[in-house]
Parts: sequence; C-alpha cells; structure tokens
Amino acid sequence: MTGEHRTTSGRMGRIGAIAAREFKQTVLTKSFIFGALVLPVIMIGIGALVPLLVGGTTPPVVGTLVVADKDGSVAEQMRLAFDAMRATGKVAISPSDTMPPPMPMGGLGGVPMPDDPPVDITVMRIALDADLQREQTRVQSGEILGLVEIPAALLQSAPPAGVDISVLVPTASPAKTTAMIGRIAREATVTARVAAAGGDLAAARALLSPPSAATARVSNEGQRSRERFEIRMILPGAFMFLMWIASFTSANQLLTSTIEEKSSKVIEVLLSATSPLELLAGKILGQSLVSLVMLGMYGIAGMVGLTLLAVTDLVDVPTILLFVVWFLLGYFMCAAMMAAVGSAVSDLREAQTLVSPVMLLMMMPMMLWLPISENPTGILATVTSFIPPIGPFVMVLRTMGAVEGIPAWQVGAALFTNAIGAIALVWLGARIFRIGILMQGKPPTPLELLRWARAR
Amino acid sequence: MTAALEIRGVCKRYGNVEAVRPLDLVAERGALIGLLGPNGAGKSTLIRMVMSLIRPDAGELRVLGGDALDMKDRIGYLPEERGVYRRMRVEDFLFYIGRLKGLPSSGLRARIAGWLERIELPGVAHKRCQELSKGMQQKVQFVAALLHDPELIVLDEPFSGLDPVNARVLIQTVQALHREGRTIFLSTHQMSQAEQMCQRVVLINRGEKILDAPVREALARFSPRAIDLEPASDPQKACAALKQLPSVASAEWRPETCTIHVALDERADAVSSLAAIAACVPARRIEVARVSLDDVFVRLVEAHGGHSRVPVRGAA
Repeated sequence: MTGEHRTTSGRMGRIGAIAAREFKQTVLTKSFIFGALVLPVIMIGIGALVPLLVGGTTPPVVGTLVVADKDGSVAEQMRLAFDAMRATGKVAISPSDTMPPPMPMGGLGGVPMPDDPPVDITVMRIALDADLQREQTRVQSGEILGLVEIPAALLQSAPPAGVDISVLVPTASPAKTTAMIGRIAREATVTARVAAAGGDLAAARALLSPPSAATARVSNEGQRSRERFEIRMILPGAFMFLMWIASFTSANQLLTSTIEEKSSKVIEVLLSATSPLELLAGKILGQSLVSLVMLGMYGIAGMVGLTLLAVTDLVDVPTILLFVVWFLLGYFMCAAMMAAVGSAVSDLREAQTLVSPVMLLMMMPMMLWLPISENPTGILATVTSFIPPIGPFVMVLRTMGAVEGIPAWQVGAALFTNAIGAIALVWLGARIFRIGILMQGKPPTPLELLRWARAR
Repeated sequence: MTAALEIRGVCKRYGNVEAVRPLDLVAERGALIGLLGPNGAGKSTLIRMVMSLIRPDAGELRVLGGDALDMKDRIGYLPEERGVYRRMRVEDFLFYIGRLKGLPSSGLRARIAGWLERIELPGVAHKRCQELSKGMQQKVQFVAALLHDPELIVLDEPFSGLDPVNARVLIQTVQALHREGRTIFLSTHQMSQAEQMCQRVVLINRGEKILDAPVREALARFSPRAIDLEPASDPQKACAALKQLPSVASAEWRPETCTIHVALDERADAVSSLAAIAACVPARRIEVARVSLDDVFVRLVEAHGGHSRVPVRGAA
C-alpha cells in the first residue's frame, strides 16, 4: 500500500536536505548577494576610483606668486622649486620618505609631495619695503596667487622665536595650494638661511639622514627571523577579522532563520519529519557552507591583493589549511550558541537579552588583537589560545603573527581544547535547541536554559 | 498485525499542571478516530507525544509497532500550530518537506502537482507561500502532511479556519484516505464533522480520558429517552392528553420549534411509547429525539468539572 517509494538515505539525507535549503535560502537572496558580493566590490571600486577621479579633475595651479624678502635669496629658492615641479610634474614618492632628498646645486630640488596639485607658478620677487598693501589688494582681487612675506630675521643664523612667514591667499584658494605654498616657502627659507651662513644643506641632510634598521628575532634555538611590521600587526588582524566576520555573519543568520521558523510556526511541521538534532545539524552545516563561500570570496580577494603587493610569501598553504581548521572550530562554537538562543526565543527583540553575553564573548578576540599581536608568544596569548570559544581566533592571530613560530605542542593543545570546547558547545546547544524549539511564551532565563540542558 | 497506535499509562506534567493524566488508548489499523476535548484539555500535548515531539513523563507509547522517532516517514502530521516558509515557492516548500520525509527527488514534482490538483489548488505551485490566502496555505500544509503516503495520519484541527467549500474538499480527502486503509487520528472541536466522519471518538478533559467509544454507541449511551412530535391540533390540549399516558414523565410545548418534547418514564420503551403517543395525539410528524455528539460533549465535560483552564507554558 505505502512505503514502496521511500529511499533509505535516512538521517544523512535529511541533514543534507536541510543544509541545502539553508545554504540556498541564504546565498541566493538579494540581501546576501548585495551584502557579501556587491557591496564589497562597490566599496573597493569607490576606494580605487575616488583618488583617480579627484586626481584627474584637480585643476593645475597657474599664476604669479609674489615673494617679499630681504635679498631675493628665498624668492630664488622658491622659483627653483616651482620650476622643478613644473618640469617634474606630479610624481609619486614613498610616503615613508619624510626627509626630502639632497638638493642639487643648493636648491630645493622641486620634488612634489603626493598631494600636491600640478603647478605652473611664476615667482615675482619684491623688496620688503615695497608697497605690500597694493600686493594685498591684488591678492584680494585674485590677480595673483598669493603674497609671501619673509621677515629678514628668519634668515639669521639664530632666528628669534615668534617670527613667522606671512602667506596671504585669496579666500577661494584651495587648501592643497595654500599648504604647498607654505611648505615651499618654509623649505626655501631654511635653504637660504643655511646658504647665508655658508653651510651646505645637502651635506647636512645627508649627515642627518637616519639609516634603516634590519631587525631580526632570534628564537631559543638560535633561528633568526626578519621582523616585519605588516606580519606582526596587520596580517593577523586581517585574517582574524575575516574569520570573525564569516563565522559571525553565518551564526547570526542561523539565529534569525531559527527564530523565523519558530515565529512562522513551520517548526512543528519540520519536527514531524526530522528530529531536532538533525535539524540543528543541517542548519549548522548549511550555514558553514555559506561562511566558507564568504571566506573563499574574501580570501581570494585578499590573495589577489597580496599578489599585487608582491608579498604572497607572507602566507603559505599549511598556514591557510590551519586557518580553515581554526575557522571551523570557531564557527561551530559560535553557531551552536546562536542556534540555542534562536530556539529559546520567539522574536529578535527577545533574543537581544540572550545574545548580549554571546556577543561579549565574541568581541573578546577584537579586544585581544593588539596585545596578542604585540606579543604572540606571551603568557596572555598562550593561555587564551586554550580557552574556547575565543581560542581559535587567538590562534589565528598567533600563527599569522609569530614569525618565530608557535611551539607545536601549543598548536596541538589548542586544537585539542578547542575541539573539545566545540563538541561541548554543540552538545549543549543541541540540548537547549531540542527543548526550546517547541517552547512559546516568555523567553527563558539563563537558569532555565541550564535546566533545559540537563533535562532528560 | 500490530495496532497503529498504542498508548499505555502515558502522562505529562508541566510544573503543577497535569496536561495529560495516565492515559490508555489503542488505535487499530485502518481506524478513523476523533480526539475531542475542550480547549486546554491536553489533546495537542497527547498528539505531540504521539509524534515524539515531546517525551511523556511516564508510560509507554508505540506508533506503528515502534518508536515514533523511527516512524516519522510513515506518519503524516498536520499540527495545530502550522506554518510555511513565507518566501518559499509552494512547490519548493513541498519538495523540501517531501525530501525530509524520505521521498526521492525523481517524480516528486509530479507527485506535488497531483496533490495540488487533488485538493483543488491548481496553478499555485510557482507562487510564493505568502501570496496565498490563509485557507490556501492551510491546504498546502495539508498536502505537506500527506505527500509521502503515510500509513498513520495525525491531524490536529485540520478544518479550523476553512470556509465550508474548502472544509468539504479536505473532509472528502480524509474520507478517501480512510477508505484506502490509512489510520487517521483526528483532533477537532467541530462535533458535527467528528460525528459525520469518525468511527470512534475519544474525549479527554483536564488531561483525562472520559469517553472512548464508537460514535453510535456514544450517541446511544446518551440517548435522551424522549420523543418529539409536531401536533396537528391544539398543542396545549395535546400536552394535557400526553401527560395522562403512563409511559410519559413530562410533555412540554416548544413554540420555537413548534414541537412537543415528550420525556419518557425511566422504565418505558421508546418504540412502544412512540406508538402509544401517536395513537393518543394526532401529529404531523413524530420521532424519537436524537442526541448529537455536541450534546454528549457538553454533558460529559460538565459532568467532569467543566473545561480546563489553559495550562502553563508549553502545554496544549
């Protein structure tokens, strides 16, 4: 009569069906496609396009700059600088190169800063006792770009305090232009002052230029590893954030989908076909696939970025594989907690009370980022590695940041304790889920949740 | 062959409230049993225990000869609190439920189309559930419960909220499934439907079973021992004449129905009294008064202390 059509796929088939639905219903939604795919692409696009658009539309600064100084030496230095900038155009220089390069022939060299607009400025020198009021009127009318007044005292070997260069510009003068004029005027004054004292500024700058330090860390075994700031601070943080966002987004999705199933009353229909544990397993599995998609997507984007920066040596395959293991452990713990909360409440508003402690726990890795990145092999980092559910996040910070390496026993111990933690939390979440999923009415207290976990 | 459902000494307590007191019930295969009771009587709690959604505190419960957890693919369940995935398309929702019930993918969509046709829901397969009316959603949920051809069908208030036309479609479907040999366990508040459909009724009140009998037997047991007649002459004179008969305990004129309600003496036989009354008073119509399941329900519940209050959290 009946039953001939049934398959024997059983429990795994049901878990697979639930996981597939959970995955499809999350990934194939407009909000996911927009939030996880389109939005980052748009943001990256804006980030890349804005400077291009701004840079491309910045009009060149063309005009005359009147410089009033004692003997014309500062005006001459400024003229040399602007001529060089006109000839060089807007070229990029290393942002870390804060010291200007040695200036040829005693001049400024005319090397523009990255933010400088293209220039075509003619310098006109006047004496300090010329009619400055008339020049000011020309500034006001916009006839000239500006009036720079260099007090004679600034060219003395020991200039007195409280004497400043005066730069007058029209009201509508762009900030970048005024900043550039001020900088060139200051540098020209220094150059003129050194020349007046009979010194060689280029030689002095070369003498003052600090050498770079090649720092290396020496392990207990005597191994040297090069100190790299980007490894110790930025890369671990980036990986940890990636893991946090992927796991937390999916776990949060698990929370909302569970609440939706409860509030729409579809849950009892589902539980007539499957057990609460199968339902939970399917949902966690489905959302783990969602988070792996996110992880893969952002991971590929990150690797493209590292390739473009020619620093792919910072991440190797074993590290990535270990990262996936840490991610899965972290995700399962986070997901179990969120699913338990979702099963216990009837709507998102009720969930806030129970989600807060979970959120606090999940924020811990963020708070520990800097201290652990600073000292990835210290006591704080070592101890927190073994504490679920933050252990996997801490281990990502450590494995990515400790160029000297993490002792193998610590990696093994952290894997063990966090795997035990994941199993315990999933078990606890499942116990709460199986009771909470059919409950209606006021949300339970934390004490009631524990009672559910202990219930037969 | 084992019974479809065996419940022995099953009870459930929520805090201080006994939702279900030790209860025995056996449903033979192929039976159509009505589970009746006032709100909060424990019907849904009992059904949830049958479906292994909640565990009984004590007692033994066997479904199709085994544990309900292992028999989910052979049971069709329409819960009282039912719902759908609002944004899913009807066909996708039913496909998903079918897969959970162990149906293979091949041929499933054709099966869904067949069922939608059968319950008069053509053309909704590709609509989102939220686009359907409440009654249509209920029919979709009905299909979800039956899609996998279950041997045991448990329906908790299947007709509530349906208009008479749609209710009739579902009643006919349930009756057809019964004729095919399925065991059907039906919880309802609508006594007329239970009387019309069920072979046997089980009435529970305050978590306790207070009636378990075939419908005819239950009605006979609560027969009012009365005769209704529509007099052809003056009703007051007719009443006076009837009161003179030895088998008549009382005769009362009921102008709202234009009938005289004749209550018989305890020792009187209804059939012979009917002949004596017909000979005594000329009547347009005369019949033995019928009791309805509704009357049985009210009388039994009142006799057992009235209906229960809604129990605490989680109870039915």
